[in-house]
Amino acid sequence: MDSDVEMNAASDEEVMDDEDYYDYCYSDVGDDEDDGGGGDSDGELVGADYDEGLEAEGSDVVVSRREQTFAVLREEDISERQEEDISKVSSVLSIAREEACVLLHHYKWNISKLSDEWFADEEKVRHTVGLLLNGNDRPRSRKLTCGICFEGYSSDMMSSAGCAHFYCHECWEGYISAAISGGPGCLSLRCPDPSCGAMVLQRMINKLAKEEDKEKYARFLLRTYVEGSKKTKWCPAPDCTCAVEFLGDENYDVSCNCKFNFCWNCTEEAHRPVNCETVSKWILKNSAESENMNWILANSKPCPKCKRPIEKNQGCMHMTCTPPCKFEFCWLCLGAWSDHGERTGGFYACNRYESAKKEGVYDETEARRERAKNSLERYMHYYERWASNQTSRQKAQADLHKAEKEQLAKLTDIFGIPETQLKFIVEAWSQIIECRRVLKWTYAYGYYLDDKVKSEFFEYLQGEAESGLERLHQCAEKDLLAFLPSLKPDSNETTAPSVAEFGDFRVKLAGLTSVTRNYFENLVQALEAGLEDVHATGQAAATSSTATSSKKGGTKSKKKHAKPSSDHTDDGWPCERCTYLNPPSVDVCSICEKSRYQT
Amino acid sequence: MVDVSRVQKELTECNRDREVSGVSITLHDGANISHLTGTIAGPADSPYEGGTFTIDIRLPGGYPFEPPKMQFVTKVWHPNISSQNGAICLDILKDQWSPALTLKTALLSLQALLSSPAPDDPQDAVVAQQYLRDYPTFAATARYWTEAFAKSASTGMEEKVQKLVEMGFPEDLVRSTLKSVDGDENLALEKLCSG
Repeated sequence: MDSDVEMNAASDEEVMDDEDYYDYCYSDVGDDEDDGGGGDSDGELVGADYDEGLEAEGSDVVVSRREQTFAVLREEDISERQEEDISKVSSVLSIAREEACVLLHHYKWNISKLSDEWFADEEKVRHTVGLLLNGNDRPRSRKLTCGICFEGYSSDMMSSAGCAHFYCHECWEGYISAAISGGPGCLSLRCPDPSCGAMVLQRMINKLAKEEDKEKYARFLLRTYVEGSKKTKWCPAPDCTCAVEFLGDENYDVSCNCKFNFCWNCTEEAHRPVNCETVSKWILKNSAESENMNWILANSKPCPKCKRPIEKNQGCMHMTCTPPCKFEFCWLCLGAWSDHGERTGGFYACNRYESAKKEGVYDETEARRERAKNSLERYMHYYERWASNQTSRQKAQADLHKAEKEQLAKLTDIFGIPETQLKFIVEAWSQIIECRRVLKWTYAYGYYLDDKVKSEFFEYLQGEAESGLERLHQCAEKDLLAFLPSLKPDSNETTAPSVAEFGDFRVKLAGLTSVTRNYFENLVQALEAGLEDVHATGQAAATSSTATSSKKGGTKSKKKHAKPSSDHTDDGWPCERCTYLNPPSVDVCSICEKSRYQT
Repeated sequence: MVDVSRVQKELTECNRDREVSGVSITLHDGANISHLTGTIAGPADSPYEGGTFTIDIRLPGGYPFEPPKMQFVTKVWHPNISSQNGAICLDILKDQWSPALTLKTALLSLQALLSSPAPDDPQDAVVAQQYLRDYPTFAATARYWTEAFAKSASTGMEEKVQKLVEMGFPEDLVRSTLKSVDGDENLALEKLCSG
């Protein structure tokens, strides 16, 4: 994965920062303990957050659970951390909070880099950032001319950014307002005098700006804390105000408090096992432009005169471009229609086309048109499946919501089973949602896979996973309905299913859920390993576990396993097709109904 | 809105030493304070020497907190000025603008830009390439453009007016029409004939 390489290739400096960062975190916790409760709230908050993050992950990531490598930060947490950083710098460097604030902003909230450079050469840092050592708050003379509006004011009506350039308060307000509406650049606003670099500090903003501008400034300041740091990013979900801090070094899929799963690296929707590069290529491709182009290329020719693309929708070759161009030409040779007299062999037998083709003039464009048509069809194949899995996923999300809101309560009423024991339905839906997401992205992966052998292997794995998912989705969607009161109350009485039947349903759905999970784990692992297995099939099949035995090991190896599986008579037998562990009492798989002995 | 009192102060201040500085500003049409016309004298020891360049200045509502919009009316052959429409590529007219700068300082910067082009950050790629690859041709072209467009403007104008008046058009109308087409004789004639 390219993204990984990038992360590792980051400068040593950053690695050092990481360590510093953690040191700082730990020492902070230590302080709290010493205080004996004084500053406990910090530690608790972080802890609470962490738990919340875990819960969110627990409900959403079902394919494969991993260690949590990220933390979700709410707006309060962000400003709290920011305040802490400012306080720390302000006390360590013995400077005012506002000064610490602009310094941190300049150093992208990198405390260690700031303090290193500060202690190495304070003067230089002060000069670059525009922090004056000896503030010049009061002008010498009592009456001054504002450098912007050129009006005279008494000195108490004027302010400077600590330098010798005084401006009236009205002009300051206008200057600050213009800078703030210009965006986050206002956080490093300097004195209006071009030759002076004095930084305008937040206290100036608070003293001189309009209320709304002060608020905007504060928001920019909060945003820079997340955007400046290399370890935090905003959750891209609409209306979500959380940020996510990434602590791991691979598997960028993170899950925000708002339940949105996204890839921390590229901030697109979570797309494991497909890498960010493929995803961005695919998204770019989907953004109609390129495909429209291909369609136009495949189905139209440009008017030879005005170059507008023309689609032929009438039988004859005599084309007339739409006004104002109105150029009349031959569809076959794209030559002017006026040339198509007897001389050229008659109107409807354009020999110029044939002769041109013989000379090879049109071969290139024709071939390009043909290629575009083929590639369009290929793309349509993948896009259609990508998009329909997307739709299915959204439907499944709605169904999960419905199940949690209504169906579970109804089932409790009917069968007297507590809702806690109906969790298997929620799990099934969560699994479906997750699998639809993975499956969707595998189509983008497939589109860019050009190795023929890998392609076959990939399609095999994808096919297995997809058919498993279809079985599960069908079971969750259709079979469940049989246990819910139908629309006609009368028929409900006579055909009401028994508790035992519900028990069977439960076994089947839970089984399908776990089977599908296995299939997708295989798929995800195989894709993440770059489908390398395909070149070492023999060994892989021999050492593969039961979970992976459904891989392309060939049916031969499975047959060999069929007998040893009877050793497991005590704990049941795993189904060859779906890997479900059946009880020894049955000879037909309770999930996929495959016979135990038949192959 | 535009700070009227500041602009008026600027006009007075700028025109006070116009002989020395070589730059001046006038109101474009007398009434509208946000539409001005600036002139700069072509700097000595440059291909623009001896020319007088007219610049259209429009002040946005946020002036002086937003930069003024400036564009050459006189055609100029210069890497940082479009030979097509006179658009200028200069940082202080964009992100480096500061309210502590004035129209006069901006015009002086333009004058400085004429003396020392920045071909690595071009507005007109054709001119910039010529400047870098074939400086003598560039200098000759720039000088020719200065002769043709930056000098004849005032002297040529009277001749044009006279010519058109002799054709039977009223002088006032001739002057205003010529002005509206930036002194292009043929365009003016076309306009006058069409009514």
